[in-house]
Amino acid sequence: MIDSKLKRKQIIVCSVLLVLLFLAVTWSITSGEYKMDLSAYLKTLIGQGEFKDNLILMEFRMPRMLITLLAGMALSMSGAIIQSITKNPLAESGILGINAGGGFAITVFIVIGQVNPNTFIYVLPLISAAGGILTALLIFLFSYNKGKGISPANMVLIGVGLSAALSGGSITMMRKFNEDQAEFIAAWMAGNIWGDEWSFVLAFLPWILIIIPFLFFKSSSLNIINTNDQTAKSLGMNLDKERLILLIISVILSSVAVAVVGSIGFIGLMGPHIAKSFVGPRHQLFMPIALLTGAFLLVIADTIGQTVLSIGTIPAGIVVAIIGAPYFLYLMYKTNSI
Amino acid sequence: MNRLTGRNLTIAYGNKIIIENLDIGIPDKKITSIIGPNGCGKSTLLKALCRLLPIKKGKIALDGTDINKSASKEIAKKIAILPQSPEVADGLTVGELVSYGRYPYQKGFGRLVPEDVEVIDWALQVTGITEFKHRIINDLSGGQKQRVWIAMALAQKTDIIFLDEPTTFLDIAHQLEILELIKELNQKQQTTIVMVLHDINQAIRFSDYMITMKDGEVITQGNIPEVLSSQLLAEVFQIDAELMQDKLTGKPMIANYQLVNRKYSKVEIK
Ligand SMILES: Nc1ncnc2c1ncn2[C@@H]1O[C@H](COP(=O)(O)OP(=O)(O)OP(=O)(O)O)[C@@H](O)[C@H]1O
Ligand SMILES: [Mg+2]
Repeated sequence: MIDSKLKRKQIIVCSVLLVLLFLAVTWSITSGEYKMDLSAYLKTLIGQGEFKDNLILMEFRMPRMLITLLAGMALSMSGAIIQSITKNPLAESGILGINAGGGFAITVFIVIGQVNPNTFIYVLPLISAAGGILTALLIFLFSYNKGKGISPANMVLIGVGLSAALSGGSITMMRKFNEDQAEFIAAWMAGNIWGDEWSFVLAFLPWILIIIPFLFFKSSSLNIINTNDQTAKSLGMNLDKERLILLIISVILSSVAVAVVGSIGFIGLMGPHIAKSFVGPRHQLFMPIALLTGAFLLVIADTIGQTVLSIGTIPAGIVVAIIGAPYFLYLMYKTNSI
Repeated sequence: MNRLTGRNLTIAYGNKIIIENLDIGIPDKKITSIIGPNGCGKSTLLKALCRLLPIKKGKIALDGTDINKSASKEIAKKIAILPQSPEVADGLTVGELVSYGRYPYQKGFGRLVPEDVEVIDWALQVTGITEFKHRIINDLSGGQKQRVWIAMALAQKTDIIFLDEPTTFLDIAHQLEILELIKELNQKQQTTIVMVLHDINQAIRFSDYMITMKDGEVITQGNIPEVLSSQLLAEVFQIDAELMQDKLTGKPMIANYQLVNRKYSKVEIK
């Protein structure tokens, strides 16, 4: 029943975004300390490059790039689902403190856990997801107002509060760390993309490959959840169960992402909103756009952070926040939540 | 015959009991109207009967099985509901919302099969909104929106349809149009209709069976000419009304009505 004009528009938007994404990736890979020029990059891509370029691209830049792309997609998609199931346009894993919850769990794990460097990266997403799910449940518990349900503004306030408390908790615990560990946690909280090896891609990719198709599979349910509770129930949906499953899945998605790229917010806010501004609230149409937009934004933010200063770098999470915070205020103004 | 019955129902919001020990039967293939003063529990009863609201005690049975123990999608193939003033996401078109009525029949990705498309087109057509198919719902007028929601309920292809105040926000001509549509559905498709109406004369004119409620209790239920009386109206609505015969329909109608005692305006307006 979706208008074919809208479907065409979606295809056009996706194509343009793919081109933009390719350009952004090219820019990102060809900049950086070791300058790889465009022709060397393109040659290497098709397998005709020199040994050194090949090594740099395949061993260092490619895995980091893939992680950035996947994380951008995961964060954007997770934000889209959380917004739909809570009917809160301001909800997103960073703002709600779900990322901070994951970070807190990781910090606790580093303090008390036996950190085995070989399995660490595979365990990390699980720890982060557990922390994220617990935080999400706490937010729902605190922001549930009997008789009135959950108000968007309330949820954000509680999320921001929880986020501050959890980050504070992580910082306090950092005193127990040695310098390396403390540095790691600090960089993690700033949203520094630190995963840059193929093993990180391997730890991350399976989650994406399972969860994202599952969410597409759920798009018609999501459309119906987006109407109103009574309609969803009268159409035979088991609303509470469906919501809980989708919440847990989307929290896992963002938690797994932040486990490898650090605490990055706002992507889950901007990605879906930009996507919906093109094709409206239909999940099967806007989710692909949200995936591409999320990936694009994170690549751009990361590259700006890596290149803008002549000495040192700025974590991607901070660059995203510089763009994302005003966007958040704009949305808050638009939804009349303040 | 009553396919849908409620026995010994107690319905509450949290601890606040609204309806206690209520028995009800919905006659098949008839139009039933529920009338009663504001806040007496009409919407509450309606929601419970179509399992949108869990019940505290009692049993609601459809074709002999407890609706709160059946698969929700199976119920959705038998009962459709038009809620009181529903909202919808911005940007959604008429055709899409109506297509959601096919959800109970879908599996997997929710692709529409030719049969679905046929039913959707039929629903759009009988409600007279085919030309609005690609319009954004929130840009429509109240009356047009109401027809879109009815079309969605029709697309569910159910034997029973519940409507909570289907004519609110509509002008008199559109009210009649909706009620005629409901009547036609009942006559042509044998659909069982249960609706809440505030206009007693319309309820009389368009329904076969009437349930009157007050303070969470059913006062009377039965076929229209029999259950109606001036005493009933005085008891339920506190109005003093004369019952006359409607020349148009041959059914009763209320006329010359006024409040039994003006309890709300004891304070004189200066
Ligand atoms: N969600 C709710 N939570 C608590 N109490 C409620 C809720 N909804 C309705 N009530 C209360 O239940 C009682 C019955 O309400 P209901 O909506 O069923 O009345 P109604 O007969 O449909 O009225 P109206 O004609 O105004 O639509 C009222 O006292 C109302 O205040
Ligand atoms: Mg009501």
